[in-house]
Amino acid sequence: MTGQRYRNSTVVDFVVVGSGASGGVIARELAVAGFSTVVLEQGSRLTPADFEHDELKYWFQAGITNDPARSPQTFRSDPSAIATPTGIRPALWYARTVGGSSIHFTANYWRFHEIDFVERSRLGPIAGTGFEDWPITYAELEPYYTKVEWDIGVSGLAGASPFDPPRTRPYPMPPLPVKSSGVLLERGARKLGLHPFPAPMAINSQPHRGRPACIHCGFCHGFACEAQAKSSTLFNMIPEAEATGRCEIRANSYVVRIDTDAKGRATGVVYLDVHGREHFQKARAVVVSANGAETPRLLLASESARYPDGLANSSGLIGKYLMFNYSSRVDAIFEHELNEFKSVQVTRVVHDFYDADPRRGFYGGGGIDARIGPQPAVWAQRLSADGPAWGAAFKARLREFPRSMVVLCHGTSLPVATNAVSLDPTLKDAWGRPAIRVTYKDHPDDLANARFLQDRGVEIMEAAGAQRVARAPIREQNFSMHLLGTCRMGNDARTSVIDRYHRTHDVPNLFLCDGSSLVTSGRGQPTMTIQALAFRAAYHIARFARAGEI
Amino acid sequence: MNYRDDLNALYSRRAMIEGVLGLVGVAALCDLATVRATAAEARSSTKLRFFSANEATTIDALVAQIIPTDETPGAREMGVARFIDSALAGFLSPLAVTFRTGLTDFETNCRSHHAGSDGFATLSADQQIIWLHQIEHTPFFESLQQLTVLAALTMPQYGGNRNGLGWQLIGFQDLHAFSPPYGYYDRDYPGFSAQEPAL
Repeated sequence: MTGQRYRNSTVVDFVVVGSGASGGVIARELAVAGFSTVVLEQGSRLTPADFEHDELKYWFQAGITNDPARSPQTFRSDPSAIATPTGIRPALWYARTVGGSSIHFTANYWRFHEIDFVERSRLGPIAGTGFEDWPITYAELEPYYTKVEWDIGVSGLAGASPFDPPRTRPYPMPPLPVKSSGVLLERGARKLGLHPFPAPMAINSQPHRGRPACIHCGFCHGFACEAQAKSSTLFNMIPEAEATGRCEIRANSYVVRIDTDAKGRATGVVYLDVHGREHFQKARAVVVSANGAETPRLLLASESARYPDGLANSSGLIGKYLMFNYSSRVDAIFEHELNEFKSVQVTRVVHDFYDADPRRGFYGGGGIDARIGPQPAVWAQRLSADGPAWGAAFKARLREFPRSMVVLCHGTSLPVATNAVSLDPTLKDAWGRPAIRVTYKDHPDDLANARFLQDRGVEIMEAAGAQRVARAPIREQNFSMHLLGTCRMGNDARTSVIDRYHRTHDVPNLFLCDGSSLVTSGRGQPTMTIQALAFRAAYHIARFARAGEI
Repeated sequence: MNYRDDLNALYSRRAMIEGVLGLVGVAALCDLATVRATAAEARSSTKLRFFSANEATTIDALVAQIIPTDETPGAREMGVARFIDSALAGFLSPLAVTFRTGLTDFETNCRSHHAGSDGFATLSADQQIIWLHQIEHTPFFESLQQLTVLAALTMPQYGGNRNGLGWQLIGFQDLHAFSPPYGYYDRDYPGFSAQEPAL
């Protein structure tokens, strides 16, 4: 924590709202480029010594995630219904700490494919959706994907997947050692003529840029990495930003409003400190990277006489087109021990079904991976859903833990305008701010795709010789940690919130970059793309700042 | 990252959400200091903190049917009832009234179906099992089942999973640093070789 300290009254070049996967990258890039930068983060700053392998804390209570007691949410699937409080389980789940959700992510880091950016042109429109091309192509983003792999740190094997998009550089680290789940996925998939490949993971397989290699503890999934081998921005971008002497990371700083002047330009942000005291940080420009839920929330809450529907919302699209991705699950039991509780979550992936195929009768595609079960208490609680939940038969099932694995099938979500993050009209958070209201109903194609991919997962596990294979029920989702599409990027100010450089169409010195920027959902694993966007956005924002074009 | 589906499945247990955690004052739930204090007390005290002696006897008999003791330890040896007792007195205290009502109803119902019996704990093992098949889908029992799993498999510092017996049952190794090979199937893996796509 060697960073610069700035006064609120100092007009810094940039204030960045959020220190997560995107905010951490943008702060580092802007500070390295020579700009004074203040990052405001809702959560506190933890160190590796604070991290624990504690399932009760991290999975059953708000260990490092948004606390439903202080930050309640409401949910509805019918946009004409009144949303009801979600209680202990928020609808949208994200880490609230310096480093954001890059602290607790699983670290699956495949790149989006070329098709993801131009799918609307290839397939045509889909009625009732905002299915659109992106204003940028894969080729424009490729250098930044490479930057993520090298600067953030991704392990993988270039050329291993015949479906991989073109790349200019190999991965900086080889893949992590294969696990039994990966071997079995590979075995089953190859029997079926598919093309499994080593999973790209944002986890060090060997020392990289001052951080050590993974110790294979098994607690990536929802936990923070005390070894600092997982490539969280807390361990790479944040300290590098601070080392420039031009960046302050201000934790426990909850931004509640972006203010504008008579010309409609942003002047800075109002935030609450840990004691609830209000401050105003002046800045020449504001970058919001607060995630796909908190970014639209902040803009909607920053309404004014000039911006009555929320800041930068002339399109009326802020908060809309929320996309979750759907992950259907297959559970499998094998004859011998896999011991999936050891090491990283995923070591093999199948992309043979990535592209949509109109012959299937629905839109959608996805990636299939082999993974951990997950850890003991969460794994065991799931058992009661589909079999004996007590007695000798239950005890026998508990003993199957080392022989179990999961295949997760990650799919598309279509952008539907009524799926949205908005401000709840009545419920307030502990600071008196309007709570997040989530409206979400999976498009029928998303569910059809989830079933299709799940069937492929079942086939792979059967081909691998599983003793038992079970499908987790596919239901409409009311929960996600993929928060995508709510301030979409586009060339037309009437149909998008930000332009191709992440500048809002309405406010010239206000930029947005995080999951909210995505135009389509990809096939899951969005953080890699969010960070590639962040590197690219920071490059252009710095360019504009130097040219006096902000 | 993607653990949504796991969590979905976890939270889809309506009993867990609405029967147990949904009624909990979340402020209390999220107060880790309280959890720790609860756990510390659970370890240091043998006195019941929430249940009456009779209630504790019923709970002990119930959890012993959820994870029975056979040639290996069960819920009884794992300290499951103790975890639940201290949790309801501590971080799950806002649930206490609902849980107690469910427990009382369970006992009343059980006695009314077993004339002359002195409660679930006094039934024979066979009678207990037959009765549990009747009521296994009630919110009370489903909640108790979920709490039993939580008690048996979370860190021993919280009072359950005594001496790691729960982890031992399922074959989890509490080591937190491993090296390959991890399991049977990756032992003689020959290494990855790429294939051409079949077009």
